[in-house]
Amino acid sequence: MHALPEHVEDIHPALWRGSQLAANYGKTVDTGYAALSAELPGGGWPLGTLVELLVQQPGIGEVRLLRPALAALSQRTIALVMPPHLPNALGFGYLGIPLEQLMMLRAPKSADALWSAEQILKAGSCGALIFWQHPVRSESLRRLHLAAQSSETLFLMVRPLTCASDSSPATLRLGVRPAGDGIVVDVVKRRGPIRTETLSIALQPSPILLSPYGRIRRHAPAPSVARSISPALVT
Amino acid sequence: MHLPRLSLEVFRPRWSPRPEHGCVVLEKDKVFIADPTAREAGVRVGMKRGGVLTLSPHTVMYERDPLRENLMQREVAFALMRFSPMVALCEEATLVMDVTASLRLFGGIVRVCHYIREVVDAIGVTARMSTAPTGQGAWLLAKQRGTGGAGGAQRVLKMTSLERALGRLPFLAAPEVRAFSEWFTGLGCKTLSDIRRLPRAGLKRRCGVALLDTLDRAYGLAPELYEWLTVPPTFSARVELPDRVEHADAILFCARRLIVQLCGWLGAQQLALTHASIALEHERGRAAIAPTVIDLALAEPTWREDHLVRLLKERLGRTELAAAVIAVRLSVTQAQPAQPSTEALFPEPGGSVDDHNRLLELLVARLGVDNVLRPAPRADHRPEHANRWVPMHDARRAEAPPADLPRPTWLLEKPLPLMMKNDRPFYSSPLKLVSTGERIEGGWFDGASASRDYFVAQASDQSCYWIFRERPSSADADDTRWFLHGLFG
Repeated sequence: MHALPEHVEDIHPALWRGSQLAANYGKTVDTGYAALSAELPGGGWPLGTLVELLVQQPGIGEVRLLRPALAALSQRTIALVMPPHLPNALGFGYLGIPLEQLMMLRAPKSADALWSAEQILKAGSCGALIFWQHPVRSESLRRLHLAAQSSETLFLMVRPLTCASDSSPATLRLGVRPAGDGIVVDVVKRRGPIRTETLSIALQPSPILLSPYGRIRRHAPAPSVARSISPALVT
Repeated sequence: MHLPRLSLEVFRPRWSPRPEHGCVVLEKDKVFIADPTAREAGVRVGMKRGGVLTLSPHTVMYERDPLRENLMQREVAFALMRFSPMVALCEEATLVMDVTASLRLFGGIVRVCHYIREVVDAIGVTARMSTAPTGQGAWLLAKQRGTGGAGGAQRVLKMTSLERALGRLPFLAAPEVRAFSEWFTGLGCKTLSDIRRLPRAGLKRRCGVALLDTLDRAYGLAPELYEWLTVPPTFSARVELPDRVEHADAILFCARRLIVQLCGWLGAQQLALTHASIALEHERGRAAIAPTVIDLALAEPTWREDHLVRLLKERLGRTELAAAVIAVRLSVTQAQPAQPSTEALFPEPGGSVDDHNRLLELLVARLGVDNVLRPAPRADHRPEHANRWVPMHDARRAEAPPADLPRPTWLLEKPLPLMMKNDRPFYSSPLKLVSTGERIEGGWFDGASASRDYFVAQASDQSCYWIFRERPSSADADDTRWFLHGLFG
């Protein structure tokens, strides 16, 4: 019997050790956050596969986390299917995502939503598809994962954090929780070693929209904040 | 191409469910053609009406309808015009088509035959196809293949093999010979080659010129002339359903038959469809019910069958029928010259613009116009008015918003009133304000006036919210009310 070579991972590019990140990972798009990219196999969001984003609740910074990737993919349409709230076009514009490439789909039934997502993936003409759906059956997930593999679309499913313990065919699953000036990311599943410690990422732009020195006054009662705008600004 | 079961299939297309006890078509009170179920029951061709009734009393009987047969033959011919503009109707339920010029486009004769088979199946008729270098030769081969005669090659491409194949055919295949069949049998002739061996001068004197001409045309010795079908300038086709249909989905089969014809018509004229309407004619009850009309408007002109069928499927899935449907009519209201797609040398990964437009059409067909939206913000200070989403193909344009206006990513459909605890707004935890206020006041001109101070608030779990305080309208009202309006995605 031949002894195994010293570097087993040299046998085939698709092979990797349990302690390494997968090397041969298909196409990816950079996340724009160096700390996060370093933790993902292939160094970015994988294209043409199911990626799950498990958020504690909508509106904690998940779109800002995706902002650099969406901006990079914005030559093609970005589809938002069944968003949890009304997407604010001005807000997306503020994040630097071109408005003419945005598309929102609302489906009366969840079967319609799943069908739409599958059609978008099959056509492959969209740059990114962000799909909010809960609950979703594991057969549907597998079906969408299969449809995603035929395309080069960034396919993200946003699901609640409580789904983290359920099994899923996704190749990458990230849990997202809010933190001081950004978010904390838990890597739930990836092609690589298990990561137990969390990853904190400072998001840009900060939600504290106005006045760079607004934080100093945050303990002041609200009316005084309103009056604190200098007269030069009001007039 | 020969359609051997045409007279039966005008009444029961192949895709329609088989009646339980079979059906037969009668001509002059004699069975002209019977389907397999009826044949199993013992019905034979040439049997009288009474005989059929005795053998299987529940068999459905139709009277032969040459007019409808002719119409159906034309339908098939129009559908075939996709492959070649030269399609001619011939006697005895046969079509002749010249595909020589189209072979390279469709990738060879085998491929063409395969495509033709698909089209014919969609219409719902049985067809026997054969190819030959001469039209008359192909006609003879197609006519004869099914009747258990010489069998022969289905596709004959060379003149020499055509001569061999024709020589093996029984002479009854040629219609001009049938009048003299007894005489030829008496001479000991069985096949066409036997007849050809007879002296020409004698044949001409006894049987006339027509017979010799037919044979000459088949063997490529005389030129062939066909009356090619001309394309009508407008398209409107109607098909009657074999049964009454209650569900819109079930109409799809028969609508496919119309779409196949439509594609043939478009292909022959090199047009692309932009607007068509489908009318579902209802059964007449006490009062006539106006037909249900489905409008198919295409943003991207198309002539592709699969796309049209998919669009129609989604539209039919959403249609509620007022009454049972007995007939379907498809008419083209608008078409424009087709523009062939430009092929890139290095194709983009996302597919072409046409692919994307087709996707949008499909989504609109299933979800409805109001559910496929694009942003078209308005120049307004009130966030809920500024954030406008319009249907994808809506003409309203976005009014460019100021580029650096900081706004949250999500807006609530309706601002959520917040509880107050210890003089602080409360949303699952006490909120503290972390930014200066932004005063928005507007809308006095359209009756929905808003006068608010917006703040960014942070909850104890560090998530941020966009909340506003409604400014009291009068000076003495001091109960300030807080609302949650946006989330920072």
